[in-house]
Amino acid sequence: MSTTSEIRLMIDGKAVLAKPGETVLQAARRAGIAIPVLCEHPALPPSGACRICLVEIENLRALQPACTFLVSEGLVIQTQSPRVRSARKFTLEMLLSDHPLECMTCEAAGECSLQDLAYEYGVTGNRFRGKQHHYPIDTSNPFIIVDRNKCILCGLCVRACQHINGVEAISVFHRGFNAYIGFGADGGMQDSLCEFCGSCVAVCPTAALWPKMSIGQGRPWQVKKVDTICSYCGVGCKITLHVKDNRIIRVEGAWDGPANHGWTCVKGHFGYDYVHHPDRLTKPRVRRYLLEGQAKTRQGSAWEWVETDWETALNIVARRLAEVWSQSGPDSIGILASAKCLNEENYLMNKLARQVIGTNNIDHCARLCHSSTVAGLAISFGSGAMSNSIDDVTEQAQAFFVIGSNTTEQHPVIGMRLRQAVRQRGARLIVADPRRIDLCDFAEIHLQHKAGTDIALLNGLMYIILEKGWEDKEFIATRTEGFEDFKAAVMHYSPEKVSAITGVPMEQLYQAAEIMAASKPMAALWAMGITQHVTGVQNVMALANLQMLLGNMGKPGGGANPLRGQNNVQGACDMGGLPNVYPAYQPVTSEEARIKFARAWGLDERPIGDENRRGLSPRAGMTVTEMIPSILENKIRALCILGENPIMSDADTNHVRRCLESADFLVLLEIFPSETSLYVDVLLPGVSFAEKSGTFTNTERRVQLVHKAIEPPGEARPDWWIITEIARRLIPLLAQHGRAIDLDAPWAKWDYTDTAQILNEINALAPSYAGITRQRLERGETLQWPCPSPDHPGTPILHVQKFTRGLGKFVPVDYLPPAELPDDDYPLIMSTGRVLYHWHGGEMSRRSQGLLAIYPEPRIEISQEDAEKIGLNGSKRLRVSSRRGAIEAEAMVTDRVPPGMVYANFHFPQASANVLTSGAALDPISKIPEFKVCAVKIEKA
Amino acid sequence: MVNTATVDLAPLDEILKEFNGEKGAVIPILQRVQDAYGYLPKEVLSAISKRTGIPLSRLYGVATFYAQFHLTRRGCHLIKICDGTACHVRGATKLVKSLEEALQLSPGGSDPDYKYSLEIVYCLGSCGLAPIVVVDDQVYGQTNPESLIERLEKLE
Ligand code: SF4
Ligand code: SF4
Ligand code: SF4
Ligand code: FES
Ligand code: FES
Repeated sequence: MSTTSEIRLMIDGKAVLAKPGETVLQAARRAGIAIPVLCEHPALPPSGACRICLVEIENLRALQPACTFLVSEGLVIQTQSPRVRSARKFTLEMLLSDHPLECMTCEAAGECSLQDLAYEYGVTGNRFRGKQHHYPIDTSNPFIIVDRNKCILCGLCVRACQHINGVEAISVFHRGFNAYIGFGADGGMQDSLCEFCGSCVAVCPTAALWPKMSIGQGRPWQVKKVDTICSYCGVGCKITLHVKDNRIIRVEGAWDGPANHGWTCVKGHFGYDYVHHPDRLTKPRVRRYLLEGQAKTRQGSAWEWVETDWETALNIVARRLAEVWSQSGPDSIGILASAKCLNEENYLMNKLARQVIGTNNIDHCARLCHSSTVAGLAISFGSGAMSNSIDDVTEQAQAFFVIGSNTTEQHPVIGMRLRQAVRQRGARLIVADPRRIDLCDFAEIHLQHKAGTDIALLNGLMYIILEKGWEDKEFIATRTEGFEDFKAAVMHYSPEKVSAITGVPMEQLYQAAEIMAASKPMAALWAMGITQHVTGVQNVMALANLQMLLGNMGKPGGGANPLRGQNNVQGACDMGGLPNVYPAYQPVTSEEARIKFARAWGLDERPIGDENRRGLSPRAGMTVTEMIPSILENKIRALCILGENPIMSDADTNHVRRCLESADFLVLLEIFPSETSLYVDVLLPGVSFAEKSGTFTNTERRVQLVHKAIEPPGEARPDWWIITEIARRLIPLLAQHGRAIDLDAPWAKWDYTDTAQILNEINALAPSYAGITRQRLERGETLQWPCPSPDHPGTPILHVQKFTRGLGKFVPVDYLPPAELPDDDYPLIMSTGRVLYHWHGGEMSRRSQGLLAIYPEPRIEISQEDAEKIGLNGSKRLRVSSRRGAIEAEAMVTDRVPPGMVYANFHFPQASANVLTSGAALDPISKIPEFKVCAVKIEKA
Repeated sequence: MVNTATVDLAPLDEILKEFNGEKGAVIPILQRVQDAYGYLPKEVLSAISKRTGIPLSRLYGVATFYAQFHLTRRGCHLIKICDGTACHVRGATKLVKSLEEALQLSPGGSDPDYKYSLEIVYCLGSCGLAPIVVVDDQVYGQTNPESLIERLEKLE
């Protein structure tokens, strides 16, 4: 007898075992028996609408759709009987009777399910040709062409938008012969809630929905398909690039992507064309004064760009860095690594700083986003990364606490998965955010606390949990320390007091605490709203306290989950792109670590000093927020910058400009001329993600392969090659000044010819990456660190049996108000952030046609009330000023921000929020600036 | 975005209070809203969506699927002309044409003053009396253009 978990059936004379609850289609598929489908997609619930999958089932008179018919014991099924085939043929004839017969020019030809079936069944479409639709083709949005004439009303797009994206922008309107798919209240996609994720395009079996940028670009059989990782955010979606004639002509989500399972957001799907933008740098450039051997001047023709060859440019870079080094020592040089570049490249930047130059002055953009997280979680748990995986969080959490994360815009695919969890399995969602972000529409409760009052809010919630005895006593007793001190501190945060500080009504505090206690495990997710404060590190520790208090750590569906911003910001941190740690967070202040790297890199084991120029630095270096200002004090004289744009991304733009202007030497590796390149002495053309191979590490610590798909433009070269060439030239120059490197040491050399060799070196020196080898990745493994050995499976969830530091540490934290509060002169709070359609300083997204078309200029969010106060009617221009500068932009009057607050983004140089933000107010530990709160005034422009 | 609605949303608020939080209640909500407004203005559909979280496309899909819902403003009097086989043969087309000429009233629409709306229906089961016209639930059999128009003009 078969076990209850197996059902036996017969399909086309073959015995098949199925699982209860499976459909006939699923059982057949697993057995390798093909049944045609049109309205079915494995990731979506079936609808049984198209009837192409009909099969004959013994003892049932009517044919049944295989995609909805559930298996039961003893079924005998025919999938290709004459009756079945003739029914399918009839269905196809009906479908084609009102379908344009223009396959020769149709974009989908070659990958259209309808065309394939018409071919297989010999249906020409002429048999019932009758009344036909002639819908106008809708090309009104920048991303997706809607040709309703080719729509077969399978409903897949409707289900994709509902079940995958979650906004439900599409529906079928009218009925019968008059039915068609439409958006919103029958306007364009752009007028609906559509976010242009492209999920509907991905499932459409015909060309009814098609990517606009791909029209006429090439046939499916003419393209080379290359799997790689999206170059935008830290979700790390796996995508497939379609390449023809060295151009990317289309992008699709890859169904085997562990973070995205085939789906993407608008940037991943349609934001790729920046790669081919005419602004791309194709030749090294140096300022004329450098070629003519003059002293630096930023005036006149001496400051003009001159294009030159690699040899000349690289020699200049090495010579100038060596000069600064010999005059002012290693710590007068700063290195900025890049959260946009490969792990291998960041490792080399770390090696350039530490081994070649002998400084720990290396940092990157992570300082400005999650440095508070890295520092805070390291104190609480001993490891500063996202504790859980996207899959377990989104699929197993009973509740989500999303605080300071505008997830649907910043980590869109995770945002989509949160919406799915809420809608499809009833997971409970608490959003805490000063703004009414889109995710609030899906939340059970929105705690709209005042900007910068996170600690009060969190302590207040924990007060209630403790007051009610809802804490996880066993977890606290066995897994943590410091509870009593912490509890004493929290007991100062009564709901009354917290409500007064945060502006959140007391009932809501109780309601949220109750959800947290009742729905476990709960996953906490956060981003910049938590970290970018003068209390950033403390905010993070408060969240760590909360998750320990509830016993949510080390469990699937729980965890402390900082969502990392840029595609490889996690990797750039892991690779030692930070001033205090070698790769894999080995502290530079640890003698053991220093000696390990000195041996590996061919240096003296003693620390660097006046009498020993051959050592590694034993002191933590400067952060980027320290390096740039210290240019004015002449402490930092030269910067070597890899793909970063501090003018856009750092706080207080005008001050950053003044600093960069007074540097002695700046070299920048970039793919476009940027706002920062105006200030640099040498500009070296690097390559985009599509032009190199290596690895990125996404927000869930997953290391994924990036594959080269196209050749770079002109003489642009991979950044790892450029860094290597700089190092190779610098080493002998510095040797003349006493910094001789023993190139026979195991990992001292700079002779890389590809990134696999660099990963090999990382495997040897970064313990948590030791088992993440190129061979394993090429085999299709996507490993999450720590992965200490080649046979280790990787670590999807951190802190399972014990915390990285042993016991989790409760750290008492106290509410401190933001550094710059509104006053009479500057009566409003400004907060900053990003929008769905752009990314970071906008260097890439502003050069993507579609993204720019849909969001063409900066907009500042302002409440109706404040807009009325200054006499702003409708959409008018707004001027916002702070103590540091002023910007003007289009006002977006909205209920997303409360009265008293404006919100601006930093994607556009003509009105970047960072002109207003303060670079002076830093978190004392992480040195992150308080981007999220500064005082401003507003007026009509 | 600012709500640029020209329609008074107060009646909607009253209705939504009754349905507090019931997301499955799309059809009853639309029915009540149509009773209150006479039809389903797009602004009101948007407002329902915003306030209930029911996606606009779903509301619009339901509103266009069922014949009972109307997306355009209706006249005070609803006229239904049957164009089923019997009525067709007995001159329904002529009736439709006459309304178009005399009152600028075409099927699915209203006259410029919103006094009448016209709908075409298919067989009302009184084929013996064809052609059939129904005015505000009052059935008239064996109608001709002249008497129909005369009757309509007498309405308030
Ligand atoms: S692009 Fe995405 S959001 Fe827009 S209609 Fe398609 S599935 Fe929905
Ligand atoms: S647009 Fe495509 S996916 Fe949507 S119903 Fe039509 S054929 Fe199906
Ligand atoms: S969610 Fe992030 S990684 Fe995924 S496609 Fe969008 S930008 Fe790329
Ligand atoms: S695939 Fe089964 S009914 Fe469409
Ligand atoms: S055809 Fe008009 S009533 Fe039957």
